[in-house]
Amino acid sequence: MAAPGRLIVTTLALCVSGLVSACTRSSSPPVDQTKAAVPGTGSSAAPAQPVNDDAKALAAFLDRVNQYVVVHQKLENTLPKLSKDSTPQQVDGHQRALSKLIQDARKDSKQGEIFTPESQMVIKKLIAKVFSGPDGPGLKASVMDENPGVPNLKVNARYPDEIPVSTIPPQLLEGLPKLPEEIEYRFVGNDLILMDTHAHIIADFIPNTFPK
Amino acid sequence: MTVLKRVSVACVIIGFLVQLDAARVRTEIAPAQAQQAAAALPLTMPNKADSFKFAVLGDFGTGSKEQYELAAIMKRVHDQYPFDLVTLVGDNLYGSERPQDFKKKFEDPYKPLLDAGVKFYASLGNHDDPQEQRNYKLFNMDGKRYYSFKPDTKQSVRFFVLETSYPTPEQIAWFEQELKASNSDWKIPYFHHPPYSSGERHGSDPQIRSSLEPLFLKYNVSVVLTGHDHFYERTKPQKGIVYFVVGSGGQLRKGNIDTRTGLSAAGNDQDQSFMIAEINGDEMWFNAISRQGKVFDSGSLTRRK
Repeated sequence: MAAPGRLIVTTLALCVSGLVSACTRSSSPPVDQTKAAVPGTGSSAAPAQPVNDDAKALAAFLDRVNQYVVVHQKLENTLPKLSKDSTPQQVDGHQRALSKLIQDARKDSKQGEIFTPESQMVIKKLIAKVFSGPDGPGLKASVMDENPGVPNLKVNARYPDEIPVSTIPPQLLEGLPKLPEEIEYRFVGNDLILMDTHAHIIADFIPNTFPK
Repeated sequence: MTVLKRVSVACVIIGFLVQLDAARVRTEIAPAQAQQAAAALPLTMPNKADSFKFAVLGDFGTGSKEQYELAAIMKRVHDQYPFDLVTLVGDNLYGSERPQDFKKKFEDPYKPLLDAGVKFYASLGNHDDPQEQRNYKLFNMDGKRYYSFKPDTKQSVRFFVLETSYPTPEQIAWFEQELKASNSDWKIPYFHHPPYSSGERHGSDPQIRSSLEPLFLKYNVSVVLTGHDHFYERTKPQKGIVYFVVGSGGQLRKGNIDTRTGLSAAGNDQDQSFMIAEINGDEMWFNAISRQGKVFDSGSLTRRK
């Protein structure tokens, strides 16, 4: 990645983490906290404003993620806990039971409920920044390696057993908002998904994330 | 004196005749020995009593006839060269991961090794479901997606097991912390995606390389074990580090080594294979062994200091 690209991604990540931590620590208005938390954005208000809007969008996304994880944890706690000595039968049974519980609890959920429309725009921009640098073609090749995509991707569906998970390059994970342990980012074709790793289901996705 | 000399000469002659007879006996039982010799694999390892011995296997969990045949060779190797554990460099199960798949693609082919007390330590590849596998007792991951462990040996060795399909900043930071805290002479990372590989299908992973190589160099890593490309390759030292690609435990991509990369010191893309290694002091020896039981690569390397 070129230095300016890395700077933007890092700034955005700092901005998001600063905002999110500010939101969780207190009920202070997030915009003021963000302004204080973003160094190097210039003295004029105009260039800072888009960054703050982006940070707000990503904070809203992380708020939805946390809401999802609360539901996930509540449902998972109703199941027998797995141990280090669990058999494949127990692990597989746990995974499928959890996926059924979540699918039932979220049966009306639709694409875009966790990835809010605003956060989708920001994440697409972020991905475009990372993939438009000099390392972009290599990064994209890494993501698309053994990643044929799935037609008619659906929220709440089980991740297909026959399709390997995509690699997420470290350079991209550095820029994307950090997720709780229960879910992770993966690409399915050109779509970025939130995968519930305990339940092996697709919690949400952004279609066509790569720039044309 | 003369009598003594005659007795001595007689003794020598008798001894010589006895030796000749013994030789004839050995010759007479030669067919049985020949059978035993055929069963012994031509390993070139020191096999010292106080060495640490382990095997490397990757991209194996297909349930195919070829996987089972290589597993049988691994057992034959273990019979004459008792390695303590097997490091798994990912893609441990292909396709579905139902309980019956763990049996067909892992427990059944390696049952003789498991019964012999050999432990398998898994890393996760892009075909592996982390939730299913990190909790699977026989993969010894202790519920973790990345971990390190020190094998039970007098030799100074620690393994660092990474998940390279999801290399979060937290994982990279953890890895550096573990390397820094380790006082082992041999720090051996293993994971799925090769920083260096001559694979036409996948090849070197520059993203993983740029994240991990600086740490390998900083903390004196000497050897790195990987898979993903479905063949065996040993690279020429890259900045002093030798990279092994052992993605040939069940899958095989024939003819996939691109010799134009200039990376290869040795390779085999014609048969399934695995690798054994032995560490004693500052030396590590290795043999790469095919499904036909042939040792097609061997050598040793000295650790970086």
